[in-house]
Amino acid sequence: MIEVNNLHKSFIDKKNKKNTVKALDGLSFTANDGEITGILGPNGAGKTTCLRTLYGLLCADEGFATIDGISVTEKPLAARAKLGIFPDKFGLYERLTAYEQIDYFASLHGMSGQVKKQAIEQVIQDLDLGELAHRKTVGFSQGQRMKITLAQALVHQPQNFVLDEPTRGLDVMSTRILRNHLAKFKAKGHCILFSSHVMQEVAALCDRVIIVANGKLAAQGTPQELCELAGESNLEEAFVKLIGSDEGVAA
Amino acid sequence: MMSNLTRDLIQLKALVLKEYREAFRDKRALMVALMMAILAPIGIMMISKIMIEKLVDEPPVYVKFSGAEYAPQLIKHFADNNLLAFVDVPADEKSTWQQRSITLNIPANYAADMAAGKPIQLHLQADFTDKAVQPPVRRINNALRAFSLSIGYKRLLLRGVDIRLLNPLELVEQDTAKPDATFMLISMMLGLYLMLAAFMSGLSVAIDSSAGERERNVLEMLLCQPVSTLKIVLAKLISASTISVIGVLLILLLTSVSVGFVDLTKIGATFSLDLSTAAILLLLLLPICFFASACQLFVAFQTKSFKEAQSTVGMLIGIPAFIPFVISMMDDRPQWLNWLPIAGQSMIIEKIFKGVELDWLAVFTTSSVTIVITVALILALAKKLKSEKVVMALS
Repeated sequence: MIEVNNLHKSFIDKKNKKNTVKALDGLSFTANDGEITGILGPNGAGKTTCLRTLYGLLCADEGFATIDGISVTEKPLAARAKLGIFPDKFGLYERLTAYEQIDYFASLHGMSGQVKKQAIEQVIQDLDLGELAHRKTVGFSQGQRMKITLAQALVHQPQNFVLDEPTRGLDVMSTRILRNHLAKFKAKGHCILFSSHVMQEVAALCDRVIIVANGKLAAQGTPQELCELAGESNLEEAFVKLIGSDEGVAA
Repeated sequence: MMSNLTRDLIQLKALVLKEYREAFRDKRALMVALMMAILAPIGIMMISKIMIEKLVDEPPVYVKFSGAEYAPQLIKHFADNNLLAFVDVPADEKSTWQQRSITLNIPANYAADMAAGKPIQLHLQADFTDKAVQPPVRRINNALRAFSLSIGYKRLLLRGVDIRLLNPLELVEQDTAKPDATFMLISMMLGLYLMLAAFMSGLSVAIDSSAGERERNVLEMLLCQPVSTLKIVLAKLISASTISVIGVLLILLLTSVSVGFVDLTKIGATFSLDLSTAAILLLLLLPICFFASACQLFVAFQTKSFKEAQSTVGMLIGIPAFIPFVISMMDDRPQWLNWLPIAGQSMIIEKIFKGVELDWLAVFTTSSVTIVITVALILALAKKLKSEKVVMALS
């Protein structure tokens, strides 16, 4: 379970105080186990800042974030151990093979020996990476890179799973594999937090949607509830309407 | 639940293994490290050879004699001094001597004037501003003066004059330079080079694993993992300094092999890069390797791009070249210099090559100080990697 409570974060420009950016302004939400929670928001709404706070990379000015009840500021390593991350910007170690990279991240999560080997084999099989596994990742296509990054994030079977726009650049087949995978994780009772700009995908996949605008929670609920709240028939229209109003329809 | 120590070890092993894989698969970085090592013995051999030639040999000089047939005694005296006739020049040197074109004209009345005791004018023609011509000209001059004097002395002797009257004053030169002073220079250069290699060899690995990773967007992913930044930094330090240790080892090995091919005994030097000297040098340079990598990582992690890292860290290279140089210029060396990293080691290396008894206390102090500074740098860097500033610079 991921809980974010009243997060505030400002980036202060020391030279010019007027340039201070208020990235998070009292954001609160909860992503429950056994659910896929979608996080929506226009560019610059504070999604990445929020997720980085969740990873323990940034320190909130006010409020707190917990992962399975562990505070990310107090015990960042323990909190991260419960987390699988697919970051916004990702790169690969181009001089390593796909297998070596997945192995690397599995080891960073403290896996070893036969357990690690089986976990790697499993994730390679699940994501259909067999052919790529023993090639160096230099020259991989965008979709292949994403799959490797996903495999890195999933190999230790994290209880909580945060994905920052995971489907960009994936072909239809890979997107389906990913969706099936997320559905399986959900069924097993994992907590999945998922950010995306593709409305159909969010509508199809997410149990609950959180809409973030100007560093605040603009609205939350099931896709259906959000549509009803905005009085629109599809999520895209509802989203535009919900972030467009200054005060937000509901919080 | 697995114990914390096992977990730490698994993580550290994975981190180090990954750094090694990346470093040893980076052909360019390895090339830099190996280039330094291979160039060293070649350079030292070449310099030794040139110095030996300059110091020891009086290489043959080929002079265009005209009228050589009038003065056979003089020509013989020249030949004894390795000043030979141009006609005897070997084919491969012909063009150089043709170009230098040193000509000595001996007049036809040489024999007659000699017999009559009249002064004889010999004309030496050459481009006196040409640097390559100056030493041969000087030698011709000396040889001729000596020959002329010997004839003059004989004439005076025949007339019953004590030739010592001609030299009321005599300057006795006593050269206090040790026979191997030149060789000292070579070994000093080796010391400097070793220091430079310790700094240079791991350089590209250090930059690549810090600023390079940031630029390739893999650092953020790594910082989000449940690993302490200290382990991350340690792994990178181990990998970069391993490369520089390999570089230093190769230099020591190749140099000790290659000096066997140069006949240093000609300049009165016996190069003794034996096993124990090499081991002591390695012991001295090991902390330097770690210190250098720590400095480079510390600087490179704080730059914004790979390029910036390269130029900034490039400036660090100046330190190992500059400090020993300054120290060798100093007459009064303050005590604290002995303890500083680089300065301390370079003074000890200087002493090793001078053959002075090794001061183990100095070795211990300077090594400890170097290690303490390295540890401080690593801890500071691990702390810095946790700060928001570094994270903000990620994108």
